[in-house]
Amino acid sequence: MTVEVEWKKGSAELLILSLVETRARHGYEISKLIEQRSGGAIRFYAASLYPLLYRLEKRGWIQGRWVEKSGQRRRRYYGLTSPGQKILAAQRRGWQAFVEAVNRITEAEHA
Amino acid sequence: MPDWKEEIAARLSSLKLDATRKSEIVEELSQHLDDRYADLIAGGAAGDEARREALGELDQDNLLAQGLHEVERSAPREPDAPRAGRRNVFASLRQDLRYALRQFRRNPGFALVAIFTLALGIGASTAIFSVIDNVLLEPFPYRDARHIVYPRIHGSTQAADEGRQGYSAEEYLEIARQNQSFESVIATADDPVLYKHGAGVEWLYGADMSQGSFEFFGMPALYGRVLQPADYDPGAPAVFVLRYKTWMSHFNGDPNVLNKVYVLNGTARTLVGIMPPRFGWYDADLWIPRTPHLGLTTGFAGMPERWFLLGRLKHGVSMTQAESDLTGIARRMAGARPQDYPPQFQVVVAQIGHSVSGQLEPALYTVLAAVGFLLLIGCVNVANLLLARATSREKEFALRAVLGAGQARLVRLLLVESLLLAVAGALLGVLIAWGGLKLIVVSMPPDSIPAESVIGLNAQVLAFTLALAFITPLIFGLAPALQAVRRDLIDPLRDAGRGIIGGLRTGRLRDAAVVIEVAVSLTLLVGAGLLMHSFLALRQVSLGVQPDHIFKTMLLLPPDRYKTPEQVSRFFAPVLAKVSSIPGVLDAAESSSVPPNISPDTRVELSGKSLGKDAHAQVQDISEAYFRIMRTPLEMGRAFTPAEIHDARRVAVVNRRFVTTYLAGEDPIGRRVTLTDLKNVGDSLRDPSFEIVGVVGDVANQGAPGYGGGGLQAAIQPQVWVPFTATESGLRYLVVRAQQSPMALMNEVQQAVWASDPGVALMYPDALDHAISQRLYAGPRFALLLMIIFGSVGLVLVTVGIYGVLAYSTAQTTHEIGVRMALGAERASVLRLVILKGLRLILAGVAVGLAVSLLLGRAVASQLWPVVKPYDPVTLAATILLLLATGVLACWIPARRASQVDPMEALRCE
Repeated sequence: MTVEVEWKKGSAELLILSLVETRARHGYEISKLIEQRSGGAIRFYAASLYPLLYRLEKRGWIQGRWVEKSGQRRRRYYGLTSPGQKILAAQRRGWQAFVEAVNRITEAEHA
Repeated sequence: MPDWKEEIAARLSSLKLDATRKSEIVEELSQHLDDRYADLIAGGAAGDEARREALGELDQDNLLAQGLHEVERSAPREPDAPRAGRRNVFASLRQDLRYALRQFRRNPGFALVAIFTLALGIGASTAIFSVIDNVLLEPFPYRDARHIVYPRIHGSTQAADEGRQGYSAEEYLEIARQNQSFESVIATADDPVLYKHGAGVEWLYGADMSQGSFEFFGMPALYGRVLQPADYDPGAPAVFVLRYKTWMSHFNGDPNVLNKVYVLNGTARTLVGIMPPRFGWYDADLWIPRTPHLGLTTGFAGMPERWFLLGRLKHGVSMTQAESDLTGIARRMAGARPQDYPPQFQVVVAQIGHSVSGQLEPALYTVLAAVGFLLLIGCVNVANLLLARATSREKEFALRAVLGAGQARLVRLLLVESLLLAVAGALLGVLIAWGGLKLIVVSMPPDSIPAESVIGLNAQVLAFTLALAFITPLIFGLAPALQAVRRDLIDPLRDAGRGIIGGLRTGRLRDAAVVIEVAVSLTLLVGAGLLMHSFLALRQVSLGVQPDHIFKTMLLLPPDRYKTPEQVSRFFAPVLAKVSSIPGVLDAAESSSVPPNISPDTRVELSGKSLGKDAHAQVQDISEAYFRIMRTPLEMGRAFTPAEIHDARRVAVVNRRFVTTYLAGEDPIGRRVTLTDLKNVGDSLRDPSFEIVGVVGDVANQGAPGYGGGGLQAAIQPQVWVPFTATESGLRYLVVRAQQSPMALMNEVQQAVWASDPGVALMYPDALDHAISQRLYAGPRFALLLMIIFGSVGLVLVTVGIYGVLAYSTAQTTHEIGVRMALGAERASVLRLVILKGLRLILAGVAVGLAVSLLLGRAVASQLWPVVKPYDPVTLAATILLLLATGVLACWIPARRASQVDPMEALRCE
């Protein structure tokens, strides 16, 4: 099953926010996690991922920081801010409510 | 490892990024590609293949440049930065204002509808307030006009606004001498002026004014001077002062007329002053100095001279105190001349202007209330639009709140937006009022406003508009603003504003608004409908004459040369012959009155029958052709013959009401009726008994409302017509039936009159149907016109309102509708769903409006023709149908749009 581009776009914010919730991650890590955890159904290319990251950062929901680890080039890690936590909680509830609603409708029609 | 930097930089070249930012992005992306490349190589890909695939990440649908362009362009920061704080209230207000302007530019349709809606409401209120302000509140330009009152002798059996307002010179002098209430009292009397002009004379409406009158009013002359004490000295040169309007119409505004001598009523008088445009006391053309002297003088048309009094209340004296003071004086005078006073009476004082505009007052306040309703509808409409918009801006507000904007700040931002709308609405509203006033002034009934009042926009009116501009946003803006910030701020972010859970929550307030709108609009329309029904009923009332194609004019005969009936008939015989021979004239007649005027009343007696003391009838004298000209149907006997008129025989024609009242079931022809009062008025008939030769249908004879009569609503009184040659009573009219337009005869009639006597002037020449229309129908027509205009505007606003709410809630639930349709719902059922929702609201509004209309019915009952009841079922049914039809129409467009939703589109739209 492939997921339509439009669906992906709408939920992409939610996905990214979830992934940086517990710890800060860099862009490539985020894109890999999305691909792995969706079993390959959802893939973000750099062309769409980075504009989205910058947008979320600009909104203040995530914050990017250059981190230098010894022996490595510096990398930009993105972490969830506290407004971002509120937004994430809200988007999760909204997503669940939407899924439940769709289920209720589809079940009702099949009953 | 390939070097990606150049490839990336090439793809960013179209963006105008600053160097630091650009190098950061390049660095981050090239790391990404490094990682990707490494993964691909580890997965077994060849170097070239891995490179191509990694670069492919950048080229997905050209998303990179496009996406970065959106994010990285330096968009202006929105002014809700969390810590704008109270650093500078004005700076942040300016920010709010700029932001509001930008909001409107982004959504001009909304702003235009809102502004236009408010402009209609504010404009209509402003227009009506101007009329009220200029006519009822501040009509007079005189010094301290609120303290100027006039006294009226009110008999205990008279209607509330009746009573004698004319006083003899003796009464005036007594009141002026004895009263404790007034700083000063002045007296004014009618003085019709014949002014020699060209081949004949013209008539001007003069007023005699007692000494001190101009000091009393406190207005200086525009040119020359006002009347002075010296002008009242015995032997002083005769002078007069001219009205601005008359100066313009009769002298073309020529300043050289000042200090010239004019012959007025045979006296040479010098024109010493021209008054400013708004001075119009007594609605006179010119003012002449005259001191009321003791002794009986005859005034206009042989009637006893009467003076109209004005008093200026002393400081601290109330109208009630003045009334008891004057009542005491009048009771003493009544002791000396009881015949001049009702048996039980008191003196009532009223502010000037009331006598003129009193009849218009209830109508104007009714209309003001209607317009207030209209403004309310407009406010509710805009509140509705704002609520709808607030719902779609929930995310924005939530975000602002999350970012730290306080609730007060958000409310203020929304109120600034509302204020901006209201101010724009008020500006447009002033324009609408300016145009509307012109229309209103043109269609106002004549003589219904004081001559001094000029209806236009003035400082008070503009202040009123300004007040509206600041009050209305509180009405329409506060509820949406509070609603917008009150709810859980995270909610909208959670449900992403979709219809399924999002759209219906705020619905209740908007629904209530529609119900209120429909109710208010129904109330207005019912009012308009009732007035229209009433007006139609009024037009159905028979006048008893056919007033079309009739020219009528009063003739002012110089009293010194026309004392006896013989002198009068010697004047009229050639005039009638000459006018009758004008081509296009069918008939010409003399008459002492024209319908619906009230003729002098007399006590009547009938031969061989005891009628009691209260038998009265109106007496009108006419010449032979009168009934033919009026087309009054003859019901029994015959009309007068030329010989009877010529020989002044004692014959009479009576109306049907006379017969049904005094001679029910008897043959009136041949009975003798005695018109008792003709013995002791001006007529010196020794035996005023007349033989009844004919009976005609009833003719309206109760005057017009606002001119001291009961109008068509009052029962027609018994009336007697006698040959004009037999009496010498007051007024003389000439009535002419024409084949074509009656006013086209004006000049030839005037020449014919002047040929008989160049000293006779035409007064109030007019087409009879026009005069009747002005007197009887103009008032109700005016009220009807206003109600129809405002009712229609209300209907338009309600349509917009219903449409707005449904269109909005339909758009909100597009997603839900899409899901339903995707799952197999029929288009028709979607259509039904939306229309039913709208119809439910409309029906609820109709129910409320109906209840309100019935409650308010009593308020309009006084304005209605008696056969039309405030709960008139036809009007109510028609109004409800109209509103329902309009409502369904307003539902139809959003419903159709909803039924055409493409399910895929609807489901995809985030």
